[in-house]
Amino acid sequence: MYRTAASRLRALKGRAVNRSLTRSASSSAVVTKSSSGGLFSWLTGESSSSLPPLQVPLKGVTLPPPLPDHVEPGKTKITTLPNGVKIASETSPTPSASIGLYVDCGSMYETPHSFGATHLLERMAFKSTTNRSYLRVVREVEAIGGNVSASASREQMGYTYDALKTYVPEMVELLVDCVRNPVFLDWEVNEQLLKVKAEIAEASNNPQGLLLEAIHSAGYSGALGNPLLTSESAISRLDSTILEEFVAENYTAARMVLAASGVEHEELMKIAEPLLSDLPSIPRPQEPKSVYVGGDYRCQSDPGKTHFALAFEAPGGWKKEKEAMTLTVLQMLMGGGGSFSAGGPGKGMYSRLYLRVLNEYPQIQSFSAFNSMYNNTGIFGIQATTGSDFVPKAIDIAVKELIAVATPGEVDQVQLDRAKQSTRSAILMNLESRMVASEDIGRQILTYGERKPVEHFLRAVDEVSLKDIASIAQKLISTPLTMASYGDVIYVPSYDSVSSKFCSK
Amino acid sequence: MAIRHLLTLARRSHSPLTHTLRPFSTSSAVSATAPPPPTPSPPPNVMIYDRFAESIKHKLKQLDNPDPRFLKHNSPHPTLTDHTSILATPLTRVTTLPNGLRVATESTLASKTATVGVWIDAGSRFETDETNGTAHFLEHMIFKGTEKRTPRELEEEIENMGGHLNAYTSREQTTYYAKVMDKDVPRALDILADILQNSKFDEKRISRERDVILREMEEVEGQTEEVIFDHLHATAFQHTPLGRTILGPAQNVRTITKDHLQKYISTHYTTSRMVIAASGAVKHEDLVEQVKKLFTKLSSDPTTTSELVAKEPAIFTGSEVRIIDDDMPLAQFAVAFNGAPWMDPDSIALMVMQSMLGSWNKNAGGGKHMGSELAQRVGINEIAESMMAFNTNYKDTGLFGVYAIAKPDCVDDLAYAIMYELSKLCYRVSEADVTRARNQLKSALLSHLDGTSPIAEDIGRQLLTYGRRIPYAELFARIDAVDASTVKRVANCFIFDQDVAIAAMGPIQGLPDYNWFRRRTYWLRY
Repeated sequence: MYRTAASRLRALKGRAVNRSLTRSASSSAVVTKSSSGGLFSWLTGESSSSLPPLQVPLKGVTLPPPLPDHVEPGKTKITTLPNGVKIASETSPTPSASIGLYVDCGSMYETPHSFGATHLLERMAFKSTTNRSYLRVVREVEAIGGNVSASASREQMGYTYDALKTYVPEMVELLVDCVRNPVFLDWEVNEQLLKVKAEIAEASNNPQGLLLEAIHSAGYSGALGNPLLTSESAISRLDSTILEEFVAENYTAARMVLAASGVEHEELMKIAEPLLSDLPSIPRPQEPKSVYVGGDYRCQSDPGKTHFALAFEAPGGWKKEKEAMTLTVLQMLMGGGGSFSAGGPGKGMYSRLYLRVLNEYPQIQSFSAFNSMYNNTGIFGIQATTGSDFVPKAIDIAVKELIAVATPGEVDQVQLDRAKQSTRSAILMNLESRMVASEDIGRQILTYGERKPVEHFLRAVDEVSLKDIASIAQKLISTPLTMASYGDVIYVPSYDSVSSKFCSK
Repeated sequence: MAIRHLLTLARRSHSPLTHTLRPFSTSSAVSATAPPPPTPSPPPNVMIYDRFAESIKHKLKQLDNPDPRFLKHNSPHPTLTDHTSILATPLTRVTTLPNGLRVATESTLASKTATVGVWIDAGSRFETDETNGTAHFLEHMIFKGTEKRTPRELEEEIENMGGHLNAYTSREQTTYYAKVMDKDVPRALDILADILQNSKFDEKRISRERDVILREMEEVEGQTEEVIFDHLHATAFQHTPLGRTILGPAQNVRTITKDHLQKYISTHYTTSRMVIAASGAVKHEDLVEQVKKLFTKLSSDPTTTSELVAKEPAIFTGSEVRIIDDDMPLAQFAVAFNGAPWMDPDSIALMVMQSMLGSWNKNAGGGKHMGSELAQRVGINEIAESMMAFNTNYKDTGLFGVYAIAKPDCVDDLAYAIMYELSKLCYRVSEADVTRARNQLKSALLSHLDGTSPIAEDIGRQLLTYGRRIPYAELFARIDAVDASTVKRVANCFIFDQDVAIAAMGPIQGLPDYNWFRRRTYWLRY
């Protein structure tokens, strides 16, 4: 704003020399340059030339030579710096690049003292650093037309920057600075705290999210049980000191990966290495322990509707790839969705839960299988929304469906092939996007220490057999049940009665 | 929180041995990695306020010595950069078949997926008052079975190959596209050809679909942004075809028949008005050959859309519609000027201007620091929940303006801010703001093309609107041709002393009257 004020000041008292004038000198110089066509053309901009309409090619434009139709997709190259930071990249022929800095840190590393820190950190991303102010960060991103975002999860933090390839140096520099050197100025923290609180207050609008949160806090004892969306009272205790400590403790060299899609590896190394190589090298700590115990969570709120979820542990998590891929196929196989979902074919309308549940029972508003995987464990189950008096029946249906997939002979080859094909195409279609690709590089390296080629996962999907599906489903339902319900919960049957249905099988 | 802080500080003052202001630094690793060494705490007899000041000063001291390593490349001042080297893309090949049908592809043979679709120069604007809603009804009915495939077979075929079949209808365009694996492209095209030429429109299905559409209507009525833009079109283009909604009135949905649908296809789904576009793992020659074989039954009526548009042009009328509803928590309104048609070279300048006005919402990362002065006004004064500049193009006209949501007591301030910043584009435009907007626009246009479907969409849309695909380099050159004086010239055409159309809904008693808005399309002193 001061610039407008300054230029207006200049217009009023043209000869007066003051400090604000010298500060705005650079921008006003530009303005005078364009207004050379006399007094009135300055007013109306008449001096600007007109171009031919858009259907006519513009003359005098040098078009770059077209790319061949077949551009060999780049391999992922990974370099580990001496202090443990990993830098990975893959080339792509698109004009934009997506760069992400991923940190092995999430709500599972919080202590009761710092609950909510990751959520607040997500909001504090791209604010003031020791080298640039918040204003400067915003303007630098805008100056190149980039797009920055941050995301927090239970295990990983991600900071991403998306812009045209020409700007790779700018992107890397800002990204690293914002993650490495935040200062957490008190007024900025307080401003974001208010927003986090508002976000928490609005969480009840998203019952599905609340249920997922509840499943974790009831099902796990230990780190994974930490809330990602913590209570307002816990948030109020947070301040800049806690954030500083949390970052100092967790954002260490060995736990960071800089991943890029659409960037030459050498170029990335040249810029990123000097910015990251001086991080102190601290050995990666043991991942905090979480034990799956199972449990029940219910929360009474608005009458009329009930949301519930039944879930089991998927032991092994991402690290056991074969099982992880089998579970992904199983999720596709069960599928499901909302009863109102509109749109064309291809949205899983022939998945088991759609055919056997949503098409049969109009009382059920949504019914779907969900799957959240972590490095060493995971949770798999069914999530549903129904009218509240239909809950006992809906839970019975969910139990029946989970037991059915665990019974050999229940799932037929056609269904399995369909699910496998959907999984395969979902993986490939998602990887079309450079943003997904760079995220995939970052997260895989954090989990596996390397990036496995996509063919590897596709092969794992191909190998899934009917026997695998039944055996993994059996393994699932032999773990303790976790149950969560939200809404009108008075008709929800007791934990023991639901749990015993799985045991009696 | 303040109290707790006071308590910790007070407690601290009893232990003069403490060396740090950080109350909980227990692990040694922390102090080893923390960048600045902790300052010694002031003597215990210092006032509490001074302690606060001390701790803040200490923190601000961190900002005194920026590390030049991190300041080598970035600059907050936008500059023009040459992007020619990164703008190379695979060739967009276009073939026009003897019957007038166009086939366009951009091949990336290394990818394993592809999008293939049909883009049709038809939409709700080419309906009449009696048939308004047919285009959208057709979009629903087209997946409901053909001579060769029952609906179930069609759905299962797509699902078994892990593909997606999508459709959307807008005022001027209709699209059907499939996203599939590389080897399934021929099959996907076969399905598209089948549903477009051989759909059965079973009466029973039609009557079932009426209910679905009526329910969809209810859903759309819940989405206030859609409702506002429907009202904006209805008032701005009143008594002309663009004023009608896409879904059509409920009465029409109840009365549309099989004949309407078939007539719509035979008059509007004509070869000259269709483009088959594909991107990803497709070979142009193969696709052309297949299209030749499959798309044989389409009508080749030579009527072009320009003739239809000339017969029934869209005429902008300065006017307003207000729906006062004090029970709604938030007020929302859209103010629009008559914008530019697709072909107009000034439409690029309008896109830059849209980018200059920008958009803002409470959760946007930029907060009150964004470059757009409208966003600054909104953010600093907290006068809106969200705000967004829009620029819609049609064949012969367009809409350019701002849409905003606000608390009821802010709407007048917000209206002032919006009109001030809009009309400012005619008078005071800084070169730096234009450069920033240009950079943002370039980046937004290209980063949107992330995957095969957006690229196929881009090809299809550009061939229908411009008759060709504009190379990125030319698009960038056109954007670069927009400078501050162009913005002023274009603003003088489209904004200065022009009529506005307003659509507003909710608790809008505080929204100034129409003449107030009209008066603020020009300044008398500046």
